[in-house]
Amino acid sequence: MSDRIGVYVCECGPNIADKVDIKKILTEISAFNEPPEKIIIAKKHKLLCSKEGQDFLADEIIKNELTHLVIAACSPRDHDITFMNVCKRTDLNPYLYKLVNIREHCAWIIPDKDEATEKAIQYIRAGISRVTYQDPLIEKELDSIPDVLVIGAGIAGIEASLSLAGENRKVYLVERTSSIGGKVTKFEKILPHQGTNLDIIQEKIKAVQENENIEIFTESEVEKAIGFFGNFEITLKNIHNDEQNNEFKVGAIVAATGFNLFNPEKIPRYGYGKIEDVYTSLEIEESNSKTGKILLKSGKPPKSVALIHCVGREERGYCSRVCCNYMFKIAQYLKEKMPDIKITEFYKDLCLPNKADQEFFVDTKNKGVNFIRFKDIAVKQKDKEKFIEYTKMDGKKEKISAEMIILAPAIEPAEGSKEIAELLNISLDETGFFQEAHQKLNPVATSIDGVFIVGTAQNPKNIPDSMMDAQAVGGKILTQLIPGEKLIPEVIVSEISEAFCTGCQTCLSVCSYGAIYFDEDRNISIVNEAICRGCGNCVASCPSGAAHAKHFTSTQIYQEVLEAIR
Amino acid sequence: MNNSDILVIGAGVAGIEASLLLASTGKKVYLVEKASLTGGNVIKYEDVFSNMECSTCMIAPKQQEVLQSENIELLTLSTVEKVQGEIGDFTVTIKKKARYVSLIDCIGCGMCYEPCPVSLKNEFEQNLSEKKAIYVPCPGSLPNVPAIDPEYCLQLNGKKTCNACVEACAFGAINLSDKDEKIEIKVGAIIVASGFDIVEPAGFPQFGYGKYPNVYTAIEAERLYASNGPTEGEITLRKGNTPPQAIAIIQCVGREQQGYCSSVCCMYSLKLAHYLKHKLPDAKIYNFHSDWCMPGKYNQKFHQDVKEEGVDFIYSPVDKIKVEGNDKSLLIEYYNGKDEKEKLSADMVILSLAMMQGKDTASLSKLLGIEQDKRGFFMNQGIQLGSVDTSKPGIFLAGCAEGPKDIQGSITQAEAAVGKVMSYLS
Ligand SMILES: Cc1cc2nc3c(=O)[nH]c(=O)nc-3n(C[C@H](O)[C@H](O)[C@H](O)COP(=O)(O)OP(=O)(O)OC[C@H]3O[C@@H](n4cnc5c(N)ncnc54)[C@H](O)[C@@H]3O)c2cc1C
Ligand code: SF4
Ligand code: SF4
Ligand code: SF4
Ligand code: SF4
Ligand code: SF4
Repeated sequence: MSDRIGVYVCECGPNIADKVDIKKILTEISAFNEPPEKIIIAKKHKLLCSKEGQDFLADEIIKNELTHLVIAACSPRDHDITFMNVCKRTDLNPYLYKLVNIREHCAWIIPDKDEATEKAIQYIRAGISRVTYQDPLIEKELDSIPDVLVIGAGIAGIEASLSLAGENRKVYLVERTSSIGGKVTKFEKILPHQGTNLDIIQEKIKAVQENENIEIFTESEVEKAIGFFGNFEITLKNIHNDEQNNEFKVGAIVAATGFNLFNPEKIPRYGYGKIEDVYTSLEIEESNSKTGKILLKSGKPPKSVALIHCVGREERGYCSRVCCNYMFKIAQYLKEKMPDIKITEFYKDLCLPNKADQEFFVDTKNKGVNFIRFKDIAVKQKDKEKFIEYTKMDGKKEKISAEMIILAPAIEPAEGSKEIAELLNISLDETGFFQEAHQKLNPVATSIDGVFIVGTAQNPKNIPDSMMDAQAVGGKILTQLIPGEKLIPEVIVSEISEAFCTGCQTCLSVCSYGAIYFDEDRNISIVNEAICRGCGNCVASCPSGAAHAKHFTSTQIYQEVLEAIR
Repeated sequence: MNNSDILVIGAGVAGIEASLLLASTGKKVYLVEKASLTGGNVIKYEDVFSNMECSTCMIAPKQQEVLQSENIELLTLSTVEKVQGEIGDFTVTIKKKARYVSLIDCIGCGMCYEPCPVSLKNEFEQNLSEKKAIYVPCPGSLPNVPAIDPEYCLQLNGKKTCNACVEACAFGAINLSDKDEKIEIKVGAIIVASGFDIVEPAGFPQFGYGKYPNVYTAIEAERLYASNGPTEGEITLRKGNTPPQAIAIIQCVGREQQGYCSSVCCMYSLKLAHYLKHKLPDAKIYNFHSDWCMPGKYNQKFHQDVKEEGVDFIYSPVDKIKVEGNDKSLLIEYYNGKDEKEKLSADMVILSLAMMQGKDTASLSKLLGIEQDKRGFFMNQGIQLGSVDTSKPGIFLAGCAEGPKDIQGSITQAEAAVGKVMSYLS
């Protein structure tokens, strides 16, 4: 059957009708003979987006056996979907329709009616010219696996596993070390104002262990993860035993690899590693939760302690968000254990973003902890005595002595984050943490569909916020990966023509979704349509013109532009 | 009986995100919004920190998706009146105020505004401009359909006969006999995303808000800068109508009184400083701050960048700052880092005021049967369940309704609430 194009112009009430000469448009378009003899019908309607207008269109498509549809109306932002749905109702492939915007582009911006009419005619001709080069595109359906791989069994990974595991969904929880729970199990208490103590974490660990839909692999690492949303093939390796590999398939992956502390030895002025009784916060937490005591190396309790905030903040280039609060917590431990102890907290800023944080600070201060805001600071030793030398905000230099010094080192991405990122094909941002799909709107997703990031692996954060991330991933996965339901990948994707591809692999380097792979045998690059989002980067970068984007082919664009400027 | 429909209260970023995610699974979502438009507070800003993306461009596609989703029933100008029942089976009564303009028939052409004889203050624009009795709050409002304020419309308040807007509308979209409605719905779960408000500047007379015309709130400053705002983005002073030459931004106003740090005002103050430097490169910009609260990986860099743009950062406790002056010029009295009293003159002052619970929090908490914390925000259930659960099963929190946070925090919490809803209802 030869092409049968229908063109419909919307009056949009007076919006278009008053500003362009629709009669003239219809006469000229009917006479438009490029492509010849194909315009079957050109009509107007008062409001095509209305229910009545949509019914009219559907009727017209069927009655006139249209193969292509051009609508001249408003912005595609308003009604592209509306008209695509009309096409679907009539079995006309929605990719064989084109919406030409003669309202925002002509009627509303050109005061002169003749001029607006001319431009509208030109645009409609361009649309007609394009539509005949458009190809019908078909939505595909893919089977998906509802199961999820969670990498890292800290609090974020544990909470994610608990949020996800269920009757129809298995979770594989992989942990590098020999036990699950991560760093929080080393804390004596979770910040008091956040409620309770460690028992709750232990309960969660138990819940994970007892959950029959969660399979735990300790002392294991992910070796391979290939595939796409709904369908990843995973290989795990046991760290100690090369033979012991596990293979399984999942639909989604959650990276919950957590954090490390900045090594204070990198900044010699803190004396860490050189001067006795200079500790990191984590060392204090560990000794306190193991022995219930905070003691000097000599075994004696300290009479004076200096807590220094923001160690490595400048070097890392960001504030770690949690250290102010946990330093108050440590000060409170010390005060509880040794009420007469002299505590000085040296801070730069008080970062108290949670609604309960400031109260906790005030409470700590009221317990007799001395707070000093500093500009510069150094830990010095003279004979047996240790000093904190500091410059205050007013430029005055002072010093105090302290028996014990506790540092709050910056939170860094965990060791091996880079390798995990490479394995999963996701990016790291400039600070070395995993990069989110969108900083504001999509913070737990990544540029790779089906790969999610939670907890401190994404950004320094506290326990409640890490849990919130994990629950958010629950929200994402439980709504997107429903057991038994098929996934419909993007239809407007790119393809690489085998005949033209020279195997240069330029496209591989520009695809931020990891959608292109290289076929060594045939020496060509190939787009995986299940992953491709149709961004067009590969098309623009291919030096041989082998890559092209469906629905935005060079021919389609060329024909449209040609007619628009004729 | 397990009902899997969901009620979302508030159509700010948090409510929108939650609704879209839930609707994508085919669940029916009732999105109840008090205002005539969606988007909450975020659509008031030109850009968002710290990536400085255009705010409307960022969330308009989401707002549009809400309007186009077959599974979301958006109820604007609506509030919840009564909630009964429990998880899986809530019966909710919603009061839907008359809009007088049909969401289906109106195409948003705007022909009806001109002829309306009534002008009134535009609250959305912080009263910096006027609107007609038939209005959209600002260009780009979504849904792009006006509403009529029945208190001011001459026909509706009975002061005069008027039909001007009806006559101007070519689509028959205006119906002056539209009535308020009560709607009863049944849902299985409820997400509360009713957002925040800003503390009243009148509570801080030492900064002269209301007394001196050129003292502004941060939201007023946001609207002044916005290209769809009352001045189309031109920064001109309330008094004098000229661009300011020296601007002082004062942070942490109300922090002490509220008892918490609002966690976003440091960052948005930096954003405002950056805006102003951009539009008024020759103006002096002073920023009075105490602590810098800029948690997270992207924020400090933004601080550094703004500093390099030539903004003057002055460390000064807010409780010792005073603003004096007259209609035209302002004098800021403060204590510097050395605790010495200093003075500085400016012709514009911007107050970064604390965020507080949304105005309806107390009434909502009563009718939903969920608790408020001592600060006034809705109370979460702490570390055991996380920050989205309330004291009542089946009712969850999202966004600033639970406490001050930025956009990504609000979005994350909305997704977390959805996670909870999905695991309870599926
Ligand atoms: C001046 C300023 C600048 C800011 N700039 C930034 C920035 O640049 N970047 C950033 O990340 N964050 C910024 N923030 C924070 C940001 O505004 C919030 O994170 C965000 O708006 C929270 O979204 P929300 O949906 O929770 O609440 P809101 O935006 O407040 O939305 C709540 C919605 O609920 C509706 N509602 C309220 N009560 C009811 C009821 N009873 N029934 C029905 N509906 C109701 C409201 O009308 C509103 O539409 C800024 C804040 C301020 C004050
Ligand atoms: S949270 Fe506090 S101690 Fe940690 S980097 Fe930020 S300001 Fe410094
Ligand atoms: S169109 Fe974009 S997403 Fe698709 S293969 Fe090319 S670069 Fe990758
Ligand atoms: S009827 Fe009311 S809203 Fe309409 S034009 Fe008259 S006063 Fe304005
Ligand atoms: S009510 Fe009528 S005149 Fe007003 S914007 Fe809507 S369609 Fe246009
Ligand atoms: S975010 Fe900054 S300005 Fe706002 S209350 Fe906290 S410290 Fe003050």
